[in-house]
Amino acid sequence: MSAAGPTRPAFAQDRLAFLLSFVPYLIDHPGVKVADAAAHFGVGEEELRAQVERITGLGVPGATATYGPEDLFDIDWDALDDADEIYLTNRVAIDDAPKFSAREAAALIAGLQYLQALPGRADGAAIATLMAKLSRGASATPPAVAIDRGVADAALGVIRAALDTGTRVEFDYLNSRGEHERRPVDPLRLESRDDTWYLRGWCHLRGDVRIFRVDRMQHPIATGEKVQHTPEDVALSETLFDPSADDLWVGLRIAESAIPTVAEYLTAESKLVPDGEGRVRTRIRVAHYHGLKRLVASLPGLLEVTDPPEARKAVADWAQAALDRYRSRGRA
Amino acid sequence: MPRIIPPEERQFSLVLALLATEHGLTKEQILSTVDGYAQKYDPDGPNANLERQFERDKDALRELGLPLETVDPPGEPGNNQLQRYRIPKGDYELPGDVTFTPTELGLLQLAGAVWREGTLSGDSRRALIKLRALGVEPDGVMLGYAPRLRALEPAFAPLTEAIERHEIVTFPYLRPGRTSARPHTIKPLAVFQFRGRWLFQGLDHADRPLTFLLSRIVGEVKGTKTYFEPPAGDQAARAVADLQRVWDRQTATVEVVPGSDAAARLGRRFGGDDPEATVLTVHYSDLALLADELAGYGPEALVIEPEHLKQAVVSRLEAILWQHAEAEGAA
Repeated sequence: MSAAGPTRPAFAQDRLAFLLSFVPYLIDHPGVKVADAAAHFGVGEEELRAQVERITGLGVPGATATYGPEDLFDIDWDALDDADEIYLTNRVAIDDAPKFSAREAAALIAGLQYLQALPGRADGAAIATLMAKLSRGASATPPAVAIDRGVADAALGVIRAALDTGTRVEFDYLNSRGEHERRPVDPLRLESRDDTWYLRGWCHLRGDVRIFRVDRMQHPIATGEKVQHTPEDVALSETLFDPSADDLWVGLRIAESAIPTVAEYLTAESKLVPDGEGRVRTRIRVAHYHGLKRLVASLPGLLEVTDPPEARKAVADWAQAALDRYRSRGRA
Repeated sequence: MPRIIPPEERQFSLVLALLATEHGLTKEQILSTVDGYAQKYDPDGPNANLERQFERDKDALRELGLPLETVDPPGEPGNNQLQRYRIPKGDYELPGDVTFTPTELGLLQLAGAVWREGTLSGDSRRALIKLRALGVEPDGVMLGYAPRLRALEPAFAPLTEAIERHEIVTFPYLRPGRTSARPHTIKPLAVFQFRGRWLFQGLDHADRPLTFLLSRIVGEVKGTKTYFEPPAGDQAARAVADLQRVWDRQTATVEVVPGSDAAARLGRRFGGDDPEATVLTVHYSDLALLADELAGYGPEALVIEPEHLKQAVVSRLEAILWQHAEAEGAA
């Protein structure tokens, strides 16, 4: 299959994977309750019952190239109807679970390697054993995808322990005025995007859910106090950057080839308007200019702030302050 | 009117038939007997649509990692009509000694969830479905965690596929420190993550190894239909080890302002045991990339040495100042 060819809808493949996995599960669990099987596969009971009934119509073309009763899956219908129990009374062709594809194994292996960054969660030996099992369980050598161990963050350990024991954490964090503030937080969820870890928690200073970058926390400690807010009673968003009414709009000019490098800052509202000179204009939301000036300065030459003037000045002042330090150091 | 048979049922019947046959089935036998094909089979017709469907179903089975085998008829290799298809059971089944504990399964579920947004999410989702066949209930120790690898770099899927096929690829690449992208033609070897960044290593036309940041591949990765013989060994592990050596060797001395963002972020990675250290020895694998990061810290980080890193940071700051000092559009 060529890379450019049409990709099959993912869900047809998921449903085939389900059928191929469901049958060996039923073989190994004679008399399993519909509710238990449904919970195990993460589907509703009605859906699971429909899948059981569907399997009974399927089988192999037998000796006469037709599907006789002995060539089809069958179940104990009385047990299903009366007791919600599934017994296969006739089975064909399949005994065991299928192997993983090379890419399926690679996806889990790479994910496991990534989890090694979580201190105390997954020790190296356990992960190595698991990766070896996945490789042996794959139908071909998994493609080369690897993730290095990185550097574990001590703050992650503090938060993880607090999350596990349901206790509060406290740390210094930069606010919108560029000052540090002590934030008492009930941890709700530890999240990450690639190499960056975030704590989603209830901030007692703001009286609301906030997201904090773990590598920007200073002097984190676990206070030992019990949390007042838990993931069960706070609705947690799945997106990392929730727009806020306090956001500032900033106009940008981006080198066309650099658009992917700022993709995570672009929202549905950020229209890209080419300026005909290899650059595009767009607008993004930012919480404050302190974050913006750092972003712009870390992508030199690729990103220009066009408006408002205060935002341009924040970036220029940032660069000027840095150059002043180099100049005064040069004279010293 | 006959019931419409959904594709997964037809493919499931195909798998059953191919597992059950010992000597293999010809295409003719499959199309004329297997449920889902047989209903549409015309014994007199060319059955072109049905044959195309069979080709697509074969691809779907292979995508799931099912070991579909073709057996050439004795004495007539390549005769398409007499070729037989089968799935050898021994290659199909998960080996009996591959089992998982509830804790391991909890870890694997979290590992799979890492890909929720990315191109490998479908692959990991199907792997987790297959794992359920084993009937192990994962333990819940991983609640409260939502680690995500974005792999949103759209380069990820075409590159891993090209690595699998040993196909040479072309793509536009924006090198750190440059402002415009250039095309590259590369033999892809490995995609890997190093110090939190997704990287990709391959060989250029002279078989020199080159490393690229996935986030800087700024356009489509295209296959060239030209294939190559990859070197032996675990290319990803070797690429990580190569980069680690460069990382260990290259250091810079950077002074950070106490209590600043730069002190927090660099100190965490390079401060060692002293969280209040203000002079840090910073390791790096790519000078331009480190210069970008340091420029972002503005006055909070000052390069002491090496001189060429200091120059790289200063010239970046000058460019930023020049671009933003005047009223917009003046530059």
